[in-house]
Amino acid sequence: MRMGGEPLLAVARFELPAGSCTILSGRNGAGKTTLLKIAAGLMRPDQATVQTGGTCVDWRSARPTLRKHSIYMHQHAYMFDTSVADNVAYGLRKAGVPAAQRNDAVHKALEWAGLAQLAARNARHLSGGERQRLALARARVLSPAVLLLDEPTTNMDREARQQSFFLIRRLVSEGTGVVIASHDRQIIGQLGDQHLHLADGRLREMDMDSAAAHTRTTAAIAQSAGEAL
Amino acid sequence: MGEILRATGEALSLLFSGEPALWDIIGISFSVSLRAILVSAPLAVLVAFVLTVARFPGRRTLISTFNSLMAVPAVVVGLTVYLLLSRSGPMGDLKLLFTQAAMIIGQIVLAFPLLVAMSHAALQAAERDAWETAITLGARPWQAMLTIMYEVRFALLAAVIAGFARIIAEVGCSMMVGGNILGVTRNIPTAIALETSKGEFVQGIALGMVLLFLALFLNFVLSFMQGKGELH
Repeated sequence: MRMGGEPLLAVARFELPAGSCTILSGRNGAGKTTLLKIAAGLMRPDQATVQTGGTCVDWRSARPTLRKHSIYMHQHAYMFDTSVADNVAYGLRKAGVPAAQRNDAVHKALEWAGLAQLAARNARHLSGGERQRLALARARVLSPAVLLLDEPTTNMDREARQQSFFLIRRLVSEGTGVVIASHDRQIIGQLGDQHLHLADGRLREMDMDSAAAHTRTTAAIAQSAGEAL
Repeated sequence: MGEILRATGEALSLLFSGEPALWDIIGISFSVSLRAILVSAPLAVLVAFVLTVARFPGRRTLISTFNSLMAVPAVVVGLTVYLLLSRSGPMGDLKLLFTQAAMIIGQIVLAFPLLVAMSHAALQAAERDAWETAITLGARPWQAMLTIMYEVRFALLAAVIAGFARIIAEVGCSMMVGGNILGVTRNIPTAIALETSKGEFVQGIALGMVLLFLALFLNFVLSFMQGKGELH
């Protein structure tokens, strides 16, 4: 992938395993957002192939599949100018899900995210942490195979971050493959099952913290954030 | 001054008396301009959307062209349409000159650049994140397009209102291609021009009041829409 004639990305392989959380780190401008958007089918690379199962096709042919099975979340998730409930229902409505089924799914998603009491509020009136939870609920309700989060906890207070961590961990345990672009060490330590570092356009696998520390921290997140929601 | 005040009083009486000829003129004005907007607005918004999202050679030149065409005087538009529809023109066989259809065509040509330019500005202001969010949540491109239009609906409505305000008050184009025929192509601006030239101020003032009220009302709504469309 080139930007302005200069090579930006020369990634040999970017694997997105189901039911695990991959942390993608790298300095600002390294190309993390670009890589995530390519994986989500939102940005066209100069050249790329996509392998799903045993089949390998070029990116252009795979774009509908990428868009169907993955969801990308911006650093500051965009909220449609409508209610919280309608934001969660957006993807279901576009997929033609009947109203009764859709309303039930929206209600469950809002309960999952701890936002049921805000269903009727305009989504743009939510706090940063509430918007992030809404964005996660909006994605979860569509059951994506892969969820690509771009710096999801920027400018969040501690409580909002822990709540987001809790929901992300639940998504992973439900089988979603989550990729988080972040250079935040707390995210790497508390959420990551694998850590990839992007530098000079190339991906390098990094060592993770010890499994024991990771497990202890995960349990603590589950307890405190679950109580908060 | 006394003459003007007397004429103004008579004009108000004329308006509220429901005089058929007067309200016929008002009806023709609204009918022609509403039809022109209904035809031009959807196409203009579509063109504006393509200019916003598509990348093709000459795109910037096309945008600049639409912005520049906003400045073309109404009488020049009227002259151009007149030449096209006249008996010796390429569309002379359609026999549209001096009909409401000719006025509608002229007002479409007049409003279109303004509608495209303002709609393009409104759509450009929409965040790219909105488009990507719609697509990543499963919207097809045409569904995402409708979503974006909904997101900037107040700014798009402001564009339509601005376009309508321009064409309902213009006299140059309507006079040239409509011919100011009573009961057929005589609208508010052409009637005001005619009555004033005859020294008959009462009807002119009455119609002027209608146009003034409409202009104030449309600008009030425009300000309201643009205020609603501000960033949250």
